[in-house]
Amino acid sequence: MGLTDHEIQHVARLARLRLTADELPVIRRDLNRVLEYVSQLQTLDLANVEPTMHVVKSETPLRHDQVEPSLPVLEATRNAAQVEEGMFKVPRIMDSEGGGAGE
Amino acid sequence: MSNRLWTEEAVRLHEMFVAGKVSCEEIVQDHLEHLAAVDPGIGAFLHVAADQALAQAKEADRWSTEERQMRPLSGVPIAVKDNIVTQRMPTTAASRMLEKFYAPYNATVVEKLYAAGGILMGKTNLDEFAMGSSTEHSAFHPTRNPWQRDRVPGGSSGGSAAAVAAGMVPIALGSDTGGSIRQPAAYCGIVGMKPTYGRVSRYGLIAFASSLDQIGPMARTVRDAALLYHVIEGPDARDATSLPLTASPPTRSGPWRIGVPREYFQEGIDPRVGDVIDRYLRRLSDAGHEIRDLSLPHTRYAVATYYLIAPAEASSNLARYDGVRYGFRCDARDLVSLYERTRDEGFGPEVKRRILLGTHALSSGYYDAYYLTAQKVRTLIRQDFDAAFNAVDFVVAPTTPDVAFRFGERDDDPLKMYLGDIYTVTANLAGLPAISLPAGWVDGLPVGVQWMARPLFDNALLDAAQAAEALMPPFQFPQEVRE
Repeated sequence: MGLTDHEIQHVARLARLRLTADELPVIRRDLNRVLEYVSQLQTLDLANVEPTMHVVKSETPLRHDQVEPSLPVLEATRNAAQVEEGMFKVPRIMDSEGGGAGE
Repeated sequence: MSNRLWTEEAVRLHEMFVAGKVSCEEIVQDHLEHLAAVDPGIGAFLHVAADQALAQAKEADRWSTEERQMRPLSGVPIAVKDNIVTQRMPTTAASRMLEKFYAPYNATVVEKLYAAGGILMGKTNLDEFAMGSSTEHSAFHPTRNPWQRDRVPGGSSGGSAAAVAAGMVPIALGSDTGGSIRQPAAYCGIVGMKPTYGRVSRYGLIAFASSLDQIGPMARTVRDAALLYHVIEGPDARDATSLPLTASPPTRSGPWRIGVPREYFQEGIDPRVGDVIDRYLRRLSDAGHEIRDLSLPHTRYAVATYYLIAPAEASSNLARYDGVRYGFRCDARDLVSLYERTRDEGFGPEVKRRILLGTHALSSGYYDAYYLTAQKVRTLIRQDFDAAFNAVDFVVAPTTPDVAFRFGERDDDPLKMYLGDIYTVTANLAGLPAISLPAGWVDGLPVGVQWMARPLFDNALLDAAQAAEALMPPFQFPQEVRE
């Protein structure tokens, strides 16, 4: 039950990647090989197994609720392609067809 | 001027510098000259910070004996894997996405290197975003194995491994998500350690798979690796997963009970590698240690588990590269096209493959079957080790099933590449410390042996590795870099 081109295009959209027509067959082959390999995990009985979310259990540390200096705006925006008035600039979001959440 | 300083251990360079036998400038100059002579044929570095290193050295030369002594890395040149951020050098993660990126801050480990008096020589090559086992997936250039130039150095910390093996630096930092320190250390004939998850701050390590990533030392000798480890370890308020300082569990001096997991000698291992490890184990046995056969029954599921968890976490972590706040941007008329074109042009094929795999594993309707299932199998793999460490002090096994392969040899099938990680991913999944040491040779290529210990037993692991070094001394330099 490998992924179809249609399903892969759906995943690509979720990941904000664009796959060209010549990339697709290679990606499909590679992904399906890996998915077939990992499907062996389904043979294990995991009904009574807790998932491991953290390997070394410890309390989540909390810091003091105090305002501290953070990265200055000028520093934080220095690597951006486009900045205006201390803000990251992007193309128009409203009125653009591709601006929605996809399907 | 003392010659061939580049052949010295970090520990020795520091001693000589403290004793005033040699200046830091001489040390750095000698390493820079050696680097300039050998790196064109190897390609270990993405960025060499010669001027900064010399400036740092001149400053160090003004320190008093006490000031030199206080700083455990004074007089020591160091290389840093290029997925660890540095304010005064570029940080690319070997990706087009970050080709011109200068981080606005230093990683905690980098701050610690500076505070310890270490000289930062530059940034080393890796597989893009640390995703790979060969350093062939760098967006800029591959790195060659110093022992045989038609072979890969391993990866993803291949640049750091090759730089250390070829004597460009005595020590370097790498990062290990599924073996990325230990596997290149094995392929290049050096020492590489992945500490217990949480022992070293990840603040400033470009995130790949956050529940698995760990920074660690690479060196030619165990004591050099230990020197670097003790500088970088410790809690950090900026990394919520860094562990509080706990008293190090007492180190039991040998003889040790050494467990040998039979699953690490089964399908897929090159029999010549198996023979090298067998001979190594016999030496341990002859030295009085007790060798016990044991089983880690869920080993066969480790690669599948890893290749669900790591890409899932990567797909989430790499969502930040959208062309807006930093990094490469490909302009477009609308925002979604900007995201898509930026990511399409900025990421290489292996990174895209893993993002797609991870996005699928986390997507609605598949989460339980993939990600959650993998997290449960991760528990079983951890429990295997818990049981093993009730019976033995250390687990010893090959680091890799093979020796360094030729360029392009595994290009056609990513799964084949992933299967090579079988012996290393388990330590990341279980969070335990592991170190790869030189164990022998197959056809002029180094073979690595891996020692694993229970979580938090990093010091005990280093002590044992140091003792074991007497049975298999560190390798000399490859002929071609000896001039």
